[in-house]
Amino acid sequence: MAIPALDPFQVIADPSRRQILQLLSKNSLTINSLAENFDMSRPAVSKHIKILDSAGFISIQNIGRERYCILKQDGFNELQEWINYFDGFWLSKLQKLEALMNKKISEHQNK
Amino acid sequence: MQKEIRHQFIFPHPPTVVWDYLTNSELLAQWLMPNDFKPLVGHKFQFGTKPKLKLGFDGRVYCEVLEIIEYRKLVYSWQGGMSKEHPSLDSIVTWTLEPTDNGTLLTLEHKGFKGIKNYLPYIIMNKGWLKIGKRLSKLINTK
Repeated sequence: MAIPALDPFQVIADPSRRQILQLLSKNSLTINSLAENFDMSRPAVSKHIKILDSAGFISIQNIGRERYCILKQDGFNELQEWINYFDGFWLSKLQKLEALMNKKISEHQNK
Repeated sequence: MQKEIRHQFIFPHPPTVVWDYLTNSELLAQWLMPNDFKPLVGHKFQFGTKPKLKLGFDGRVYCEVLEIIEYRKLVYSWQGGMSKEHPSLDSIVTWTLEPTDNGTLLTLEHKGFKGIKNYLPYIIMNKGWLKIGKRLSKLINTK
């Protein structure tokens, strides 16, 4: 099954994937026990899990005979990167506005 | 780590002047980005900036004016990503102006990143990850 390359916001925009992350935030679960929480087919659940895995939101680990899905920080860090990017973006733009407005005052005073 | 974007600036100008810089397309372009903004609720406009490909951002921001209270508040949607069809970034920008004794307090809030809300605790609280790690080692140890 082809796994589309999605950015972190697209990954968590899907309600089923959000639910998977929510379930995994309470407990690490096997793919089978995760699938029990959904009406969709097991392959469909597997696909969501693969998307979450490739985006770094979860990792899949073999423990004993079972394959467990475990939350992983990488995907969440990427979301934080977006927030940080826009935070810095706004700060620099607002500083530019401040400089522009201060210039306006000094121009006014020099008249 | 922070969970939302919020900045406050005080300007020694009355709100009417600050408002001009937020709502006049040409003035806005001087400090923010080139745009086709109009101060009309429902008006759809765009900003253009440098692409940030690593983040999956093509540099175009698609916006719609959601709320205007003249000289006090301006709200617009802020969508972007790799294309207009897939706005992976779905958020809201709110500007609030409050008159002060000799100027204006301007507050910018950028929030509502779709889907992100529920996971912020995990981003913010590294303790959460510690817990997950502990749970994992417990799981491994009991097998």
